[in-house]
Amino acid sequence: MIDTPTVDWLALSPSVALLGASGVALLAAVIVPDWMRKSVAAGVVLIGFVLAAVLAGVVFDETPTPEVLLDGSMVRDRIAALTQVILAVTGAVVVLASWAERRRDNHGEYYALLAAAGAGMVFFVSADNLMTLFLGLEWFSLCLYILVALDTERATSLEAGLKYLIVGGFGSAVLLFGSAFVYGATGELGFAEIAAANPTDDVFLLAGLAMILAGLAFKVSAAPFHMWTPDVYQGAPTSVTAFMSAATKAAAMVVMLRVLVTAFPDQSEIWTIAVAVLVCISLAWGNLAALAQRDVKRLLAYSSISHAGFMLMAIAADSERGAEALLYYLVPYSAMSVGAFAVVAVRERELQRPVTLESLAGLGWERPFYGIAMWTFMLGMAGFPLTGGLFGKLFVFSAAYDSGDWWLVLIGVAATAVSLGYYLNVVRWMYMRAGGELRLAPAGGSPPTDPALGVAIGAAVLVTVGSFFAAQPILDAAADAAASLPF
Amino acid sequence: MDGPDIGWYLIVAALLFGIGALGVMMRRSPLIVLLSTEIMLNAANLTLIAFARQQGDLDGQIFALAVMAVAAAEVAIGLGLIVAMARRRIVLDVDQASALRG
Repeated sequence: MIDTPTVDWLALSPSVALLGASGVALLAAVIVPDWMRKSVAAGVVLIGFVLAAVLAGVVFDETPTPEVLLDGSMVRDRIAALTQVILAVTGAVVVLASWAERRRDNHGEYYALLAAAGAGMVFFVSADNLMTLFLGLEWFSLCLYILVALDTERATSLEAGLKYLIVGGFGSAVLLFGSAFVYGATGELGFAEIAAANPTDDVFLLAGLAMILAGLAFKVSAAPFHMWTPDVYQGAPTSVTAFMSAATKAAAMVVMLRVLVTAFPDQSEIWTIAVAVLVCISLAWGNLAALAQRDVKRLLAYSSISHAGFMLMAIAADSERGAEALLYYLVPYSAMSVGAFAVVAVRERELQRPVTLESLAGLGWERPFYGIAMWTFMLGMAGFPLTGGLFGKLFVFSAAYDSGDWWLVLIGVAATAVSLGYYLNVVRWMYMRAGGELRLAPAGGSPPTDPALGVAIGAAVLVTVGSFFAAQPILDAAADAAASLPF
Repeated sequence: MDGPDIGWYLIVAALLFGIGALGVMMRRSPLIVLLSTEIMLNAANLTLIAFARQQGDLDGQIFALAVMAVAAAEVAIGLGLIVAMARRRIVLDVDQASALRG
C-alpha cells in the first residue's frame, strides 16, 4: 500500500474551477458552432472567474491559521486567499472588457488561455516551495506568451510575444538557477525549511537569493528588469495588457513578499537593501520615462513600473504593516490599471489604430462616462483623495517610515509629484482639445455600443472609489491576511 | 561518492549558464536566442541534479524532470511564434524587431 497524501480540495478549488472553465472553453472552440463559440467560451470563463473568487473567499473565511498542504508544496492561508480573490475578480472584469475586441478568430482559445493563466496565478500565490513556485510561474507565463502574440495578423503582436518569451524565459532561467543554488546551500526546497536550515553567510545561498529576487523582479517589471514591459504592453492585445498589468503584478508581488519573508528571514538586512534599490530605480526610471511617452499604452506601462516601485517599498519595509499596505495597494491598483487599459481599448476600437495622446483628444466630451472613468483612474494612480490610490500610497509610506526607511518616503513623494505631470497630461488631452480641431473624428462614425465594456469600466470605477470609502474593511482583511506570514 | 567532485559539475553548469546568457544577449537570430534560454535552463538542471546527488535526496532530481517538461513547452511556443513570424515574412532578426519602441 502506497501512502497517498490527503488532498485539500477546497484549497485547490479556485485553481480547479479556472482549469475546468479553461478546458470547457477550449472544447467549445472546437465543437460549438461558429456563431455561438465566442459567447459560450466567454460565458464559461466568466463563470469560472466568479466561481474562483467565491471559492477563494470561502477559503479566506475558513482558514484562520495557515495550513501546509501536499507534503509542504503548497500552503493554504489568508494571504494567498485574499490575493486569489483580487486575481479572480480582475480576471472576470477582463473577460467583460475583452468581449467586443476585434479578432478574426481564436475566440475560444483566447478565453481558454485567459482562464488557464488565471488558474496558474491562483496556484502560484499559494506556492510553498521552490518547485511549485517555478512551476506556477511558468504555468501562467506560458499562457501569457501565447495571449500576447494571439493577434497574429498584427506584426506588433507577434513581436511583443517573441520579446516577452525571450525576456521571460531569461528571467525564469535566472530564477531557476537561483533556486538550484539555494537548494544546494540548504538541501531543502520548502520555504520554511530553507529558513530553518539557516546556513550563515553561505555564498551559494546569497547568490541564490539574489537570482531569485532578480527572476521575480522581471515578472513584477521592476526597473532595471523592466525593459520588456513597454514593448509588450504596447504590442499585446489591449485586454491582455490590462490582465497582465494588474494580475501578473499582483501575483508576483505577493509571491516575492512570501519568499523573502518566509524563506530568507535571516538575510533580511541584505534583501531589504536590494529591494530598496529596486524601488529607487523603478520610481525614478518609470516616472521620468513616462513623461516622454506619446503612446498611451506605453505611458501606462511606465506608470506600472513606477507602481511596482511603490509596491516594492511595502516589501522593503519587511514588517506586518508593510504586508498590509501591499495587499491594500493591490486592490485599487488592479482596478485602476484594468480600467485605464479598458478605456484605451474603447478608443482603439473606435479609431482602429494605436491610441496616442493626440487621439485621446475630445474623448472626455464625446463619451462623458469613459472620460470621467479615465479621469478617476488617472487621479487615482497619482494618489488623489476620493480614490483608493491615496490610501494605498499613504499606507505604503507609513509602513516604510515605521521601518526607518524615511529616505524612501522622500523619494516616493518626489516620484508622486513627478507622476502628476503625465497623469494630468492625459486628462488635459481628453478635455482641453476638441476632436474636430485635430481632425481625428472616429473612423466610420460612432462605434457599436459595448455594454460589457461599460460594465467592466463601471466596476473598475466602483472599486477605485469604493476602496477609498471602504478602506477600513479592506485594511482589516489585509491585516488578517498579513498575519499569516511569519514576521 | 565516486566520480568527480561536485565542484566540477558546478563549474560546467556555470559555464553553460554563462554561454546561454551571452547567447541571449548577443545573438541576433531568435532561434539561437531561444536555444540559449534552453541552455540556461539546462545549466540549472545540471546544478539541481548535482546537488541532489551530493545530498542524497530526490527533490532536486524531480525538480529537474519537471523543468524539462516546462522547457519543452516553452520551446514549442517559441517555435510556433517564429513560424508565425516567418509566414508573415517578418525578418527573423531580433535587432530589427523594433516596431515597438519609444
